Amino acid sequence: MEVGLTHYLLLAAAVFLVGMVGFIVRRNTLIMLMCVELMLSAANLVFVAFSRELGDEAGHVFVLMNFAVAAAEVAIGLAILMEIFRRRRSVDADDLNTLME
Amino acid sequence: MGFEFVVVLLFLTTSAVIVGIALWLGRFLRPRLPSAEKASTYECGERPIGSAWFNFNPRFYLFALVFIVFDAEIALTYPAAAVARRWIAEGRAWLVVAEIVLFLAILVAALAYVWGKGELDWNRDLAGPEEMP
Amino acid sequence: MLPDLAGLRGGAAILPELVLTGTVFAVLVLDLALRRSARRGRVLLLVTCLGLAAAATAIAGVSAGAQPLFYGMLVADGFALFVKGVVIAAAVVGAILAALSPEIRRDQLGEYLILLVCLTLGMCLLAGARNLLMLYLALELVSLPSYILAGFRHGDRRSSEAALKYVVFGAAASGLMLFGFSLLYGLAGTLDLPGIGAAVVARGLQGGLDAQLLVVVAVLLSLAGFAYKVAAVPFHMWCPDVYEGAPTPFVAFLSVAPKAAGFAALLRFFLSGFGAPLGFPAPGEFPWPFVLGVLAMATMTVGNLAAITQDNVKRLLAYSSIAHAGYLLMAVAVGSPLAIRGVLLYLPIYLLMNMGAFLVVMAVHDATGSETVDGFRGLGARAPYLAVVMAVFLFSLTGIPPLAGFIGKFFLFAAALQTKSMFFYAVAVVGVVNSVISLYYYARIVRACFLEKPADAQAPVRVGSPAAALLGALAVPTLVLGIWWGPLLGVVEKALLLPR
Repeated sequence: MEVGLTHYLLLAAAVFLVGMVGFIVRRNTLIMLMCVELMLSAANLVFVAFSRELGDEAGHVFVLMNFAVAAAEVAIGLAILMEIFRRRRSVDADDLNTLME
Repeated sequence: MGFEFVVVLLFLTTSAVIVGIALWLGRFLRPRLPSAEKASTYECGERPIGSAWFNFNPRFYLFALVFIVFDAEIALTYPAAAVARRWIAEGRAWLVVAEIVLFLAILVAALAYVWGKGELDWNRDLAGPEEMP
Repeated sequence: MLPDLAGLRGGAAILPELVLTGTVFAVLVLDLALRRSARRGRVLLLVTCLGLAAAATAIAGVSAGAQPLFYGMLVADGFALFVKGVVIAAAVVGAILAALSPEIRRDQLGEYLILLVCLTLGMCLLAGARNLLMLYLALELVSLPSYILAGFRHGDRRSSEAALKYVVFGAAASGLMLFGFSLLYGLAGTLDLPGIGAAVVARGLQGGLDAQLLVVVAVLLSLAGFAYKVAAVPFHMWCPDVYEGAPTPFVAFLSVAPKAAGFAALLRFFLSGFGAPLGFPAPGEFPWPFVLGVLAMATMTVGNLAAITQDNVKRLLAYSSIAHAGYLLMAVAVGSPLAIRGVLLYLPIYLLMNMGAFLVVMAVHDATGSETVDGFRGLGARAPYLAVVMAVFLFSLTGIPPLAGFIGKFFLFAAALQTKSMFFYAVAVVGVVNSVISLYYYARIVRACFLEKPADAQAPVRVGSPAAALLGALAVPTLVLGIWWGPLLGVVEKALLLPR
């Protein structure tokens, strides 16, 4: 069986959905951030797959840039998460209710 | 594509079989002296103390974060490296060098700032102020 | 195939961005060098403001042109330059607010200013981005410092919580957007917005059902990222929490500048990507104006209805800013030249009135420690100046003539009515009804200021002279532009003169 563009796209769509559903159902903010990483990885996969299919380098460059951005995003997210965890020993989204009426 | 996954499967099976045979043959050669010490977790020869499931010092984590960010930035120098040879051949070596140097200078400036601010000190007070409810 | 070096030309056109980068460096070095100096805060603020002023001067010097720069990554047309001017003005006010606010610790002011200028740099790039990669990187350069600044009050659980909500939902929104971008790239085979627009139109019209479906999904996903940045329904949930928890000087900035840059990027995405103006869809084409119009109606209505019940003034202004995003979204949906003019005219006016309102909230909070509507009781007697300018800002936000907000809204609604389509008439009617609703909650604060007695006898609220001067600098144009908007309109017209 030849592994072609369609397979990559289906895999990417599946990874993306896992990430999105995980983000919606999980209440641990750490896991939620991990799910976001899955969504970003899915997008990267689509970029690389199309880049190869089209013979265009722009997709590869986008993925490289995205690595750096995702690392920075997660570094900031985890730093904020640590700040909260140090104070209240929980990173559960349902416990983050100081700012609700 | 001329690439058969059956070959991979065969390769995997063969290697599993060879390892299995090697382990089986070993039984006839090695002495058999079981002890409680041997059944415990191997930690580089040290005697394991306490549970392996504990919170690590957040300082490690801080350094891991800094490392990840800088590690990922290196990926950004890759596109410049990819065209470097061609551009040097065309007499534009200075452009490649200037780009990389500027990029690294920005990174170093940020690192120097963090360092100067004392955020990299190991003996820093990490507890922070008490929470204001 | 190596693109010609001529593609790199355009160094002069990105001079404002280079100046901003230099400012970041200067503040970075000075913050370290002056660690032990008592005048550090003042010097850093001065350097920041000088850098921003230099960047604004550089913008004035750039000759606007529709020529793409850097192999099509950026463009420095009048539209981009105008938005850059607005966000730099917002950054100047934001820097001064931070220096005035006790919420930002003196020893952390340098860090705050560095991040603020980084953010401004991101918004300038966003305004000129003409390529999906540039658009994404600029958007993240706006987002990442925002996350940090939202949690800038260390040790305050509300501030950290605001930052965490912002970063988690922001990351998810950029994940959705990135997936949309990746599909668009696959559909068009290029990252350039005009190329994508051409491919999307072609595929949407001639492609099979699956191609059309893919276009719709990709654009909807991309839209999520923009909707998050400008706080439009259904991605507005972060807004009230972040506005309540984040430091007030940052909220004042956040409510104006990233929104302006986000709308600029959204306009460019839809107009240069999908053929300008959007107009009404050809048969068989997906009705984007309709989708955006429905989003606009939902955004205004949700923002205004939720604002009615708020007691915390920062939360109230958060919902009000959601409502304003709705009015602007209406104009984006119309997409005609008049609508673009309306958006550009609205941005500086919105800057004046919204940052002014937040400055008053900050002054009242610093003096009384209260952020609720009750804290404004009797403000008319305790601080007449504050109360009067607050009334000016709030009535301008409502859009009552002869204040600047009226002119801004007038152009937005005029653009909707000019389409002569039943759908946009309906959107405009919803908008007018919403403006009337908004009068109720804005007037509630004004009533608390002038008609209600404070719960207990309280000392007069004092305002420092820098804050008073800044308030005046924001309030006077709000009054004047309502009567004499010609010059500003002239600048907008000139900015749009060149073809995109």
